[in-house]
Amino acid sequence: MKVKDAEYSLLFKTIAYVMVTIFTLVCLFPVLLIISGSLTDNETIVRNGFGLIPEKFSLDGYMYVFKYPTAILRAYGVTIFTTVVGTALGMFFITMAGFVLQRKDFKYRNQFAFYIYFTTLFGGGLVPWYIMLTKYMKLMDTYTVLIYPGLMTPFLIILMRSFIKSAIPDELVESAKIDGANDFRIYRSIVLRLSMPGIATVGLFLALQYWNDWFLSSLFINDTRKYQLQFYLYNIINTVQFIRDMAISSGVSIGNPPTEAMRMAMSVVVTGPIVFLYPFVQRYFVKGLTIGAVKG
Amino acid sequence: MFLMLLPTLLFFLINSYVPMVGIYFAFTRYNFADGLFGSPFVGFENFRFLWQSGKLMQLTLNTIGYNLAFIVLGHTLAIVCAILLSEIGARFFKKLAQSIMFLPYFVSFVLINVIAYNLLNYDTGFINSLLVRWGMEKLDFYGIPWIWVFLIIFFYLWKYLGYYAVIYLAVITGISDEYFEAAKIDGANIFQRIWYITVPMLRPTFIILLLFSLGSIMKGQFELFYQLVGNNGLLFNATDILDTYVYRSIKVTFDIGMATAAGLYQSLFGFVLIMTVNYIIRKVNEDYALF
Amino acid sequence: MDNHKGRKDTLRRNIKLVAAFLAVMLILLTGCMGGGKSEPGGGGSGGGGSGGRTSASGLDISQRVELQFYMLGDAPVDLPLIEAEINKMLVEDLNATVKFNFTTWTDWEQKYRLLLTSGQPVDLIFTAEWTQYQAYAKNGAFLALDDLLPKVAPKLYAFVPQEMWDAVRIDGKIQTVPATWKEYVTFGNVWREDLREKYNLPIPDSLENVEKFLAGIKQNEPDMIPLAANGLFHTPGYYDFKYEPAGVASYGFPYGLYIPYDDPSNVQQFWGSERHLEDLLVMKRWMDNGYISRNVLTTQDTAHTMLVTGKSALMMGDNPNRWNSTNQDMKSTHPDWELGYYPYPLKKGYATPVHPIHNGFAIPISSQNPERALAFYELMVTDKRYNWLTQYGIEGTHFQVTEDGYYEGLSDSFKREGMNGWAWRNPEYMLFDESFEAVNEIFHELDKIAKPDIFTGFAEDWTPYQAERAALEQVRQQYLHPLEVGLVDDVEAGLRTFMEKAKEAGLETIQKSYTEQWLNYLKEAGIQ
Repeated sequence: MKVKDAEYSLLFKTIAYVMVTIFTLVCLFPVLLIISGSLTDNETIVRNGFGLIPEKFSLDGYMYVFKYPTAILRAYGVTIFTTVVGTALGMFFITMAGFVLQRKDFKYRNQFAFYIYFTTLFGGGLVPWYIMLTKYMKLMDTYTVLIYPGLMTPFLIILMRSFIKSAIPDELVESAKIDGANDFRIYRSIVLRLSMPGIATVGLFLALQYWNDWFLSSLFINDTRKYQLQFYLYNIINTVQFIRDMAISSGVSIGNPPTEAMRMAMSVVVTGPIVFLYPFVQRYFVKGLTIGAVKG
Repeated sequence: MFLMLLPTLLFFLINSYVPMVGIYFAFTRYNFADGLFGSPFVGFENFRFLWQSGKLMQLTLNTIGYNLAFIVLGHTLAIVCAILLSEIGARFFKKLAQSIMFLPYFVSFVLINVIAYNLLNYDTGFINSLLVRWGMEKLDFYGIPWIWVFLIIFFYLWKYLGYYAVIYLAVITGISDEYFEAAKIDGANIFQRIWYITVPMLRPTFIILLLFSLGSIMKGQFELFYQLVGNNGLLFNATDILDTYVYRSIKVTFDIGMATAAGLYQSLFGFVLIMTVNYIIRKVNEDYALF
Repeated sequence: MDNHKGRKDTLRRNIKLVAAFLAVMLILLTGCMGGGKSEPGGGGSGGGGSGGRTSASGLDISQRVELQFYMLGDAPVDLPLIEAEINKMLVEDLNATVKFNFTTWTDWEQKYRLLLTSGQPVDLIFTAEWTQYQAYAKNGAFLALDDLLPKVAPKLYAFVPQEMWDAVRIDGKIQTVPATWKEYVTFGNVWREDLREKYNLPIPDSLENVEKFLAGIKQNEPDMIPLAANGLFHTPGYYDFKYEPAGVASYGFPYGLYIPYDDPSNVQQFWGSERHLEDLLVMKRWMDNGYISRNVLTTQDTAHTMLVTGKSALMMGDNPNRWNSTNQDMKSTHPDWELGYYPYPLKKGYATPVHPIHNGFAIPISSQNPERALAFYELMVTDKRYNWLTQYGIEGTHFQVTEDGYYEGLSDSFKREGMNGWAWRNPEYMLFDESFEAVNEIFHELDKIAKPDIFTGFAEDWTPYQAERAALEQVRQQYLHPLEVGLVDDVEAGLRTFMEKAKEAGLETIQKSYTEQWLNYLKEAGIQ
């Protein structure tokens, strides 16, 4: 019996390694193309496309990106700021909400969950929301507007709820209540510590949401010093798109449109750092933090 | 306890519920001088463009079809992947693989389009260059509609595989070792362990993700389609979804009424779908339901 | 039994909750409705406060205000510098400061729409026919300036010629301030002159010669794609070259109706006609012969990039100004290459200078300070200090004037017309690059055959057929565009299919209404 199991395990592990390697390569390949493209001479890209290895090496793309280093650095600053603050604040609210929503003794939990979830189904559309934020809350061109709308998404709240549900046994909460702890205390000492994998995951997604956001900048930010990173990238790309689509009718002449190489270089610069966030967060996906507590 | 939930409730009230007033846009012919409530009421006129072209049924089917494929294939692969990853021992390899698989999520669709174009274009595309080198005929990918069904699904999977796998992996990590130990002692081999322990533990998460995906089924993935297909009319029949259709129609006018009307249609559809599915799930096991 | 009771309880509970929720919403809603309408510009400069200052033209400027100025495109790097300089002067002149906002090119149409719809205070915004000025104006988005102009901006009012004011009237009211610099954005062919000489090809001054040129390039430079085309970039050019349309709407003809310049009331059916079929067959020939890239509908490169990097050799439908910039761009990397230009008006016998609507600035009705905004704009156009600062930057830092009176750029942080100041150009103050002489020459040529633009002044009201219009757009993209780039094998069948689908989408309704409106416009404008 033991032998059979070992054989199966070996087979399985081999399959696992092979398939994961394949997945990884497939995921990696296009990314390598981008990196290679960012290091290629632009004319070569237009005439021959780009390949895994730059046909004609050139740092022009990067030179363009770093022409105004203060602008990029500032964008980094703004983005880091909004990401950190947004994630911290958002996680606070999301974990609280998730905790409350999964408590079986919370009478209205289903109704509130529906209330939250319903917002993903129906919306008034872009215009009323925009009016709300600009006219009534006067948030145009502020840092607040970059942080506030992303604080809580129904998806993350509900996700958090299920993480907490599976990580925290009810008995634990019961016994803490018997010991006299109020809800907030339970939340702080038990929930936060035991749902680490869930918190790490949701935290990561929330951080990514802030990092990747360009939409809010596009709509609400006019001050170039408050631009976020992704928006920089989008701007470059969209200038080209504008020329492509509107050039004839508008007769507008934009000298020196950004080239392919520049766009790629921009993507690398903008995306690069966040990629390293994930390995850090992985540390929290550790088994065994959880169940031991019940026994104790 | 209720207090802890209050900020969240307020947030959604202000951010989502109050703006819902705007749904009224869908029923007016808006003009600037009269503002929202002053503009003439036109009933369902703004919805007309949806069925005027006769494409509504096809668009709906396309949208649903693609989304089903995304959901089914996406989640299955993600679960498989997460399971495989969880069983891998070599920590460095595991970490590396996870990070790399997560990379595509960062690549915006605009770039994906650039890459796709670079791979598939007729004149200088990567694949076509290979074909030529091997003495074969070039393929005009952008002129063959049905290939794009697969290509779009492929790119969707490519981008989101890592993302969903991470979620599932987090859940798997939370499963107590004791279950597995006990199963081993009882003589279960690895396949059985996975099938009888891991998969059921993932079910609640899967259902939640499923419900969310279904809810936005009519709003599927605008960026993906729009960037990859662009303005290539040849591919529209096979690849047009409601979102891209609306976007293109609205582009030539600035009319808020029509845009809101389209959004309303999408929302209603998703709403009905969700309520039905949630109801069914609730019957099966109340815990799994979303609400 | 317990279960049953439990469910009833839940139901009751739910109903109570929903009722409570709806009540809350209702209260909020009534609150919102009160302030929900977009407010029309609350007149004047912030009321009250007498014994204050008055500006040169007698405007009450006792209260300090901040003006919100919106322009399209990207902000130049040194914008804060310029803004500071401008504000130094503006505080003196009008007791106001201005904030320059740029929408960038990302989602600019959406942003433009939101800026106007949301009712947030916007004092000045750019307009052009391609930003849908006519439609917005008809819909009441902008303030009527007729009364305001002589009162608060008399210099500006006198500066712009009366014909131009009349040309921008929509529904009889002046709703934007047009730019006065006369330029031509007419179309023409741009080609690689060095290659043409090298292979002894004809000058592309007629369609036959264009085709010969393309064939010659294809033969001698097999790696190139002769026609620099992206999407339907070349189509308006092609149609403009071959026919004499009154104006060139995007993609050639408005809803497939051909309106000849010389006989504008004779509206002809173009789509589906024999001529149309001919043209489509030509396109197919070009595609089959390899003059156009097979992936023309999806290519990422702009036509200009294709020319500049040497991937293509000919572009149809570009204007003289752009030809010049592209030429300069190209020479920076390939000094031995040369771009030739042939303006279509030479062949057609008439040239239409740019319509006043093409570049303008309007005051949205949500503006809180329309009078001061207009006075400020007057300064931008008529006061040399303001004009030069916002067009060229700070003299000595960003630019300098050469001995011959040309513009010479000194810094990339603010290039010539770095704020996209197409609208507030003042011909009397303009500085040009030396290379622009070539364009001026062309303009002189075109001046000789100048005739007025009769098309752009027409404000189409598409609300009666907006649903059909949206549906038609889809049909056109799906069925017509591939035809127009020669990607459909059986052209005749393809054209037939397109016409069928177009009719289903309501083409005839649109055409009927459009023709009526057009004929009315002709009568009112007194054109033929």
